[in-house]
Amino acid sequence: MSAPVATSNPLVKVEDLSKVFPVADRAKIHAVEHISLQVERGETLAVVGESGCGKSTLAHLIIRLLDPTGGRIVLDGDDITDLSPRAMRAHRQKLQIIFQDPFASLDPRRTVGRAVGEPLQVHKITYGEELEERVGALFERVGMERSHTTQFPHQFSGGQRQRICIARALALEPELVIADEAVSALDVSIQAQVINLMMDLQEEMGLSYLFISHDLAVVERISHRVAVMYLGQIVELGPRSAIFEDPQHSYTQKLLDAVPIADPRKRRKRPLLTSDVPSPRWPHGEHPERVELIEVDPGHFVAAE
Amino acid sequence: MSTQDPVDDLAPTPRLDGVGDDKTATPLLSVRDLRVTFDSFIAVDGVSFDIHEGQTLAVVGESGSGKSVTALSIMRLVELGTRAKIERGEILFRRPDGSIVDLAQESEAKMRSIRGNQISMIFQEPLTSLNPVYTVGNQVAEAVMLHQGVGRAAAMQRALEVFDLVRIPEAKRRLKEYPHQMSGGMRQRVMIAMALSSDPTVILADEPTTALDVTIQAQILGLMRELQRETNAAVLIITHDMGVVAEVADDVVVMNRSKVVEQGSVYDIFERPTQPYTKALLASVPRLGSMTGLSEPAHFDLVGEA
Repeated sequence: MSAPVATSNPLVKVEDLSKVFPVADRAKIHAVEHISLQVERGETLAVVGESGCGKSTLAHLIIRLLDPTGGRIVLDGDDITDLSPRAMRAHRQKLQIIFQDPFASLDPRRTVGRAVGEPLQVHKITYGEELEERVGALFERVGMERSHTTQFPHQFSGGQRQRICIARALALEPELVIADEAVSALDVSIQAQVINLMMDLQEEMGLSYLFISHDLAVVERISHRVAVMYLGQIVELGPRSAIFEDPQHSYTQKLLDAVPIADPRKRRKRPLLTSDVPSPRWPHGEHPERVELIEVDPGHFVAAE
Repeated sequence: MSTQDPVDDLAPTPRLDGVGDDKTATPLLSVRDLRVTFDSFIAVDGVSFDIHEGQTLAVVGESGSGKSVTALSIMRLVELGTRAKIERGEILFRRPDGSIVDLAQESEAKMRSIRGNQISMIFQEPLTSLNPVYTVGNQVAEAVMLHQGVGRAAAMQRALEVFDLVRIPEAKRRLKEYPHQMSGGMRQRVMIAMALSSDPTVILADEPTTALDVTIQAQILGLMRELQRETNAAVLIITHDMGVVAEVADDVVVMNRSKVVEQGSVYDIFERPTQPYTKALLASVPRLGSMTGLSEPAHFDLVGEA
């Protein structure tokens, strides 16, 4: 599948989205600050950054698990920013999420077949034998067997459990799947298999992924475009090749440089200096400065430094 | 010797292979044919390796391969509160006085004088390893008082020294902080400081950077490398991350299903792997830059996939 180009009809359009959490002493955590981005149909947009940069908050805002404090979310042409939970239900079919820990995402006392079938029942799509047939087909689609549907989560390995979570996310034939660190807890060989599966499913079903990850090497494999987040803001956004081969922002460069290289002949000097990522917590009356993105190449945006 | 190589001092230390003078040829730690069982389950089966002064050995493998059990066996922590048993094998440790003891046979009383003192351990998650209700300075000082039998003031002085050693900024002020006031990277520095406070000759590090962000991981790996050069300690690092192995190891032991699949120098393992499992492990490691020149996402090669 060729890299989707920016269109006037994106699947998801996020405009000037912000999320501020009030904390003690009238201070505020600016978790997501004025983020604008688009997810095109059939593309994987990766959002990378370190702990606390706001990448998971962004995912939760888009799927409306959190309410934004500012900005808009447009899904398939419909503004879903202020929809009530009831009104949101119709849109939820298009929008699914996979979390990091598959064991925590599956009910231990319920067969995995029931877990995968539940979205179809909740949305009153199908029942009975047809439901069973659809669930069996979903298991096969993610590389599992129909006979697995009667088993319980503890009977599966971590990789299998994540396949089950993917099957459940696909049950409603969504258009966007948000993967929030979905492969981070898996061993590398299993991680590679699950990523390959996600790419196959994208080709077959034309899915879009919003792939939230801290792992740049994985992101390089799976993404069409990449957004780099730092302290709640996007500091660089562009095609995968631009971000990895021609990073412009100093934070992107620092992030890439920190990734260990699996080649003992390429050891580098490591910084001995101690630095922490600054806090997104702002005292009362103060707020972060808004960064402006400049287009340095077509589709490649960089924050001014 | 390629003097023009800018990273020459970072290159792996050549293996000693019994050559050189006798003192260096005797390993600091020698694990021989170790077998550890949990009832009928064999968690570690016939594992052998040596570590010398100033060298880093990486034990690499996936979840459940037996790598952590190997480290816990060296510390003799594996039997505590579990049904684990060291069934067979030797764990020969050369003490600072030159005597060689078999840790697999030592009494708990003797182990207490070695554990956390001559052999220290750093764990993955610093927040669970630190007591939330004591300041970090207190906790490091407590370890010093326990192992070195010194008074409180001297122990606090030593805590300050090791905080400086691990490059904690404003060390004096930081001693008075509680764990929750520190970032993950700073807490891991505290754990490393605690591990170094007794001048151990062997350091066991179980996934020391796995819980850290990548820029912080880079700092901690750089710090560990520098500290090893300063102290000449032997380091056994347990990791699932082949990138970390390539960055720090001299020698590598690859484990799978309780057994050693392959072992050798870091170059042997990365450039001349002989076993299908090692090859598969290397093939599935995401490598930055592997996509240069490609515009589309690409599948991983799964060598030997069933």
